[in-house]
Amino acid sequence: MNNEIVISTPPHVKSKRTTRGIMADVCISLIPCAVAGIVFFGYMAFVIELVSVLSCVATEFVYYFIAKGGFAKKCKNAKNVCKAWWKQFDLTSVVTGLILALILPVTVKWYEVLLGGIFAIAIVKMFFGGTGKNLVNPATAARVFMFISFSLTTYVAANYGPILDGETLSGATNLADYLLGAEHGHASALSTLDLFLGTGVNGSIGETCKLAILVGYVYLCIRQVIKWWQPVLFIGVFGLCAVLLSGFYFAPYRFDITLFLPHILSGGVLFGAVFMFTDYVTSPKGVYGQLVYYIAGAVLLALLRYFTKIEVASFGILLMNLFVPLIDKYCIRKPFGYVKEKKQKEGK
Amino acid sequence: MKAVRGKYFFGGVHPHDKKALSSACPLEVMPDPGVAVISTSQSLGKPAVPVVEVGQEVKRGELIARADGFISADVFSSICGTVKEIRDMTGASGAAEKFIFIENNGKTDTAYLPPLSTISADEIKARIKAAGIVGLGGAGFPTHVKVSPRTPVDTLILNGAECEPYLTCDHRLMLEKTDEIVRGARYIAIALGVKNLIIGIEANKPDCIAAFEPYEDIKVVILKKKYPMGGEKQLVYVTTGRKIGLPPKLPADSGVVVENVATAYAVCEAVELGKPLFERVLTVSGGAVTTPKNIWVKVGTKLEDIVNYCGGESLPPKKVIQGGPMTGMALANYDVYTHKTTSGLLLMTPEEAAAEEPTPCLNCGKCADVCPMHLMPMNTAFYSAAGDFEAAAKYGGTMSCIECGACEYTCPAKRPLIQAIRKTKAEMRKIMAGGQKK
Repeated sequence: MNNEIVISTPPHVKSKRTTRGIMADVCISLIPCAVAGIVFFGYMAFVIELVSVLSCVATEFVYYFIAKGGFAKKCKNAKNVCKAWWKQFDLTSVVTGLILALILPVTVKWYEVLLGGIFAIAIVKMFFGGTGKNLVNPATAARVFMFISFSLTTYVAANYGPILDGETLSGATNLADYLLGAEHGHASALSTLDLFLGTGVNGSIGETCKLAILVGYVYLCIRQVIKWWQPVLFIGVFGLCAVLLSGFYFAPYRFDITLFLPHILSGGVLFGAVFMFTDYVTSPKGVYGQLVYYIAGAVLLALLRYFTKIEVASFGILLMNLFVPLIDKYCIRKPFGYVKEKKQKEGK
Repeated sequence: MKAVRGKYFFGGVHPHDKKALSSACPLEVMPDPGVAVISTSQSLGKPAVPVVEVGQEVKRGELIARADGFISADVFSSICGTVKEIRDMTGASGAAEKFIFIENNGKTDTAYLPPLSTISADEIKARIKAAGIVGLGGAGFPTHVKVSPRTPVDTLILNGAECEPYLTCDHRLMLEKTDEIVRGARYIAIALGVKNLIIGIEANKPDCIAAFEPYEDIKVVILKKKYPMGGEKQLVYVTTGRKIGLPPKLPADSGVVVENVATAYAVCEAVELGKPLFERVLTVSGGAVTTPKNIWVKVGTKLEDIVNYCGGESLPPKKVIQGGPMTGMALANYDVYTHKTTSGLLLMTPEEAAAEEPTPCLNCGKCADVCPMHLMPMNTAFYSAAGDFEAAAKYGGTMSCIECGACEYTCPAKRPLIQAIRKTKAEMRKIMAGGQKK
């Protein structure tokens, strides 16, 4: 018997899963999107990804260094502080950085990305208490922040369309091109397969290649980071809502079920459904809450897209994030065996 | 009867069962201890009252403490010897318990009850009470209370799930004492007046399933390997499809009685041999013990003797656990004596025992996903950390928690959820007691 014996409450065995491990899995699942972005948009995509990740991680480190415990004191034993930081570093900022880069268009300036990363980590995450405490998805919030602040360069991301003669079509999502294209006779410029592979589609770095997103989705499901039905439910409801809303379109496209695929494959909906809606911190905790969250989110996004005619995935996600505490409050699971007790009461 | 598959229940975790360490070790009898230190708190309910004097000579199986009230069980001497001392001492749980010290005199006289001549419900019930039998699964609920249900009962379920990792004591007992267990189960069934006999065995024990299949009057249910399959509510649900109501009710309210296989064995011995409950099978396992074993241990044996009997520590353990790794108690030293309910002694290496620093909660909801009671442990942890225990109980469903530990096992942030749940339960009981006084 020695003094190193640890006493604690049970359980005494725990799973090997750690926060860092889960975040590493998310990073791995984002790699196909990141690579596809580099393939389609060139080296600038890589630069943006790099700047974004570095700015997020650096911001977190600097914040950790400055906040709490006296700056001067920490400077004195900087080595230990760095070690402690590395010990608690859980890769969440890397995930934030990667996602932020992947939802930006390649035309964005590097210093804008830098500012976005700082905003995401410092203001959205750390000010609210760090990992697990942020109210909204940092990457999404940063994207909206950039969209409002640097609209000239970022607006392109909201202005998807086929690349024709080196210029982006004005209009809304790819879908609008689908509809307008039929009138102007260049509908063939963008087939459903193009949308799926991201060939010839203008848009954000990581959002265009849907194949890469699906690869990431499969990986996340296999590693059980997300539940497989979450994005499926979201996408399904979103697509159906979009088709229903097409009832307001002009004749040939009214309630056209073939619009389902172009709808879900255009813009950032798929990326948002797989990587951003499923963010642990900003989604409800219980299964019932999650059902409400994904369905409501899908309806909201479909409505937003129909009425604004621009890409609004990040706005929709941001809005839904704010509803999460409310959803969590009302969607409580009933304990096992609860129903039975109620029946007995009625019997009496 | 031919084995059938059990129902599915939502939640649960799949810890590595590590049963291979000791599952091949046949039962062996550990020699009597030099001094047996027997606690009078051997069951749920009130502690028993000592009926022996200091200096008195007792035989093996002699009554040394009488049950105090209905929910309490008699305590018997596990060795032959002289009562040296009766005094209060801190037990393993940290609470004061009264202990009776009996020094071994080397004799092997026994003072068993006479074997039952006529088998009837009342006689079996009286015998179960007289033999001081308690639920050997871990909680130690007096069995004579269980076999006298207030509501009509139609099914007896034997719990052979043994879902806790490491433990193999029930596994070995089911293999080696199959017939005794079935006979004991039949006696309990007679006492209850039920016809349906079900035994639930986890799929990782195919040899036990095969052993029970030849008996025509007992239905074997194969349970999916999952923790906590052996939890009472889960077991009743997967074997019969019935749910035990809430707020916490007894299985008898749903017409079933659940008994551990070891309890059935003890009942068989009490009825046929008149042997009171003073020994049990205990699994000694873990990476830090030299030879893992399944041994018959007398109640009141010092854990240090057990460790020495198994060859001592092979390397310094990080954690010493009495019971299973998911619900057992971590001990600070070996200065603890076995109870009727002690099912395991685990010496865990640093690799096996988890002792990581908790990281911030991610709200991932994995704890709620695996909760077999469909609760939301993260809410309990969140609100109890803020000191709002009423909200913790309301949003976390804490009062229905069975403390199986699945949530904390699966938590990627390694949050101390069970600690929060226990704290909330204690505070809520205080609040409820206070509310009643007003």
